Amino acid sequence: MDPLLSVRGLTVTFGSFTAVEDVSFDIHAGQTLAVVGESGSGKSVTALSIMRLVELGTRGKIEAGEILFRNSDGEVIDLVRQREDQMREIRGNQISMIFQEPLTSLNPVYSVGDQVAEAVILHQGLDKEAANERVLDMFRLVRIPEPEERMAQFPHEMSGGMRQRVMIAMALSCDPKVLIADEPTTALDVTIQAQILGLMRDLREQTGAAVLIITHDMGVVAEVADDVVVMNRAKVVERGPVTQIFESATEPYTQALLASVPRLGSMTGLDKPAPFELVEYQP
Amino acid sequence: MSPLVEVRDLCKQFPVGDGAMVHAVEGVSLEVGRGETLAVVGESGCGKSTLAHTMIRLHNPTSGQVILDGEDISTLGNRALRSHRQKMQIIFQDPFASLDPRRPVGRAVAEPLLIHGKAKGVEADEMVADLFVKVGLEAGMMRQFPHQFSGGQRQRICIARALATNPQLVIADEAVSALDVSIQAQVINLMMGLQEELGLSYLFISHDLAVVERMSHRVAVMYLGQIVELGPRRAIFESPQHSYTQRLLDAVPIADPRIRRDRPLLTDEIPSPVWPSGSSPERVVMREVAPGHLVAEEGEVADRVRPT
Repeated sequence: MDPLLSVRGLTVTFGSFTAVEDVSFDIHAGQTLAVVGESGSGKSVTALSIMRLVELGTRGKIEAGEILFRNSDGEVIDLVRQREDQMREIRGNQISMIFQEPLTSLNPVYSVGDQVAEAVILHQGLDKEAANERVLDMFRLVRIPEPEERMAQFPHEMSGGMRQRVMIAMALSCDPKVLIADEPTTALDVTIQAQILGLMRDLREQTGAAVLIITHDMGVVAEVADDVVVMNRAKVVERGPVTQIFESATEPYTQALLASVPRLGSMTGLDKPAPFELVEYQP
Repeated sequence: MSPLVEVRDLCKQFPVGDGAMVHAVEGVSLEVGRGETLAVVGESGCGKSTLAHTMIRLHNPTSGQVILDGEDISTLGNRALRSHRQKMQIIFQDPFASLDPRRPVGRAVAEPLLIHGKAKGVEADEMVADLFVKVGLEAGMMRQFPHQFSGGQRQRICIARALATNPQLVIADEAVSALDVSIQAQVINLMMGLQEELGLSYLFISHDLAVVERMSHRVAVMYLGQIVELGPRRAIFESPQHSYTQRLLDAVPIADPRIRRDRPLLTDEIPSPVWPSGSSPERVVMREVAPGHLVAEEGEVADRVRPT
């Protein structure tokens, strides 16, 4: 099957600094691809490039590569070559994105219901009443309790987990084909993270959207990904199905990364604390 | 031998207007043994950081006692407290926020030595150089500024500063949470090595249960300002008794794709710790289920109705 989104040879620079170098990967419909790496590895810049946000507001420049996207008409278009007005049709509509900190993505002076409604009014041309119906459906979909009351609330009145549900509702409100989630659970408590990961998995099955999840957390990767791309210092160092990456990683960087991941249950049967057995990695 | 720290019935409340109070820490009792790591785990807002800060008198307790090395420090005045502060030091989550950007890092590490009159001049410089080596840095780095270091190196500097006064208790408040995993593992190994070498006690505040499992001898689980389970690490991780502990453990994503858990699609949230004037939370009753393993009787904290 043809991929829904195919990143090929992507190189992004900030002045003389290369943030992403020759990165390639494919995402298929209904699949979750995790891009994993440590701070500064280029994973978020990769995501922002797909949305073509890297050139807006930052001094990033896509130097080379193509980002092929099969749009809702079945045409394959290169996102790198789309004009800003064309991107605006795609962004939030066919490809949407959620970020780490929902509070910075939400406007503090509008109710959350109005903010999600704005997205569907803008992209789908619904009137206010139909938009509100849609918002209510979306809030139910992401399992926000008492959705009618919640729609009228402001971001500060909600917990972090509820705010992230609002962001997911907004991101999914236009039935996107690709959802990009940049560290979507990093700021959340572990019980709330579990709820949101469960929700994302469930929604992917219901909507058939492809999910690109950016994370530093190997636990999250193991939990949600079908395929994994490991990034380090702007480059892809290893890629493969999730079980292959965890069980038979061949690259020294991936092995070193996995060796330093704390794993619940790894101390079972041991009475005393024990240091990590680290794998030396020299870049 | 008596424990290094004994906390008895410690309470810390913060006013939030109209006489309402946040009951951040509500009747906590625990001990930290010598050379031991006690981890305090729980979710945001459970009171774990407030507990740590109150123990070392960054906050004054509302009530209760903190007995450090045999002496109650909970009511000491600032002057009397100063000599005790040498024995207890703290490391925070963000080392960049804990270091003055305009001063060489060696000065930051020297400061506790100067304040507590441990050393000055060349002698202080030598001690700082030793501390840098002890935490895995080079002595020559003491003349550099915080922005010249990586996050992991900065946290090593903060550890060096915490060790300057030869403390017995080091509180690590999410001290490795902001670090990348490979760096986190190195800093954890460093902390464990220093514990062995210096006989330190750690109060390790963390939301990360996998890290806690690696580091700690004993674990306290906090929920809404109270401890709901406390015991040896193996007891907490291998046979958790309280439903909240079980829920926390179940929620941890495991870095093994073969163990994928079904996530129930829950939406419940932790109730508010704010109580109106004149009311207060019910205290849990702990019972001992095995030697040193205390569990709160259920149906008290976990099921209580949210106050308005």
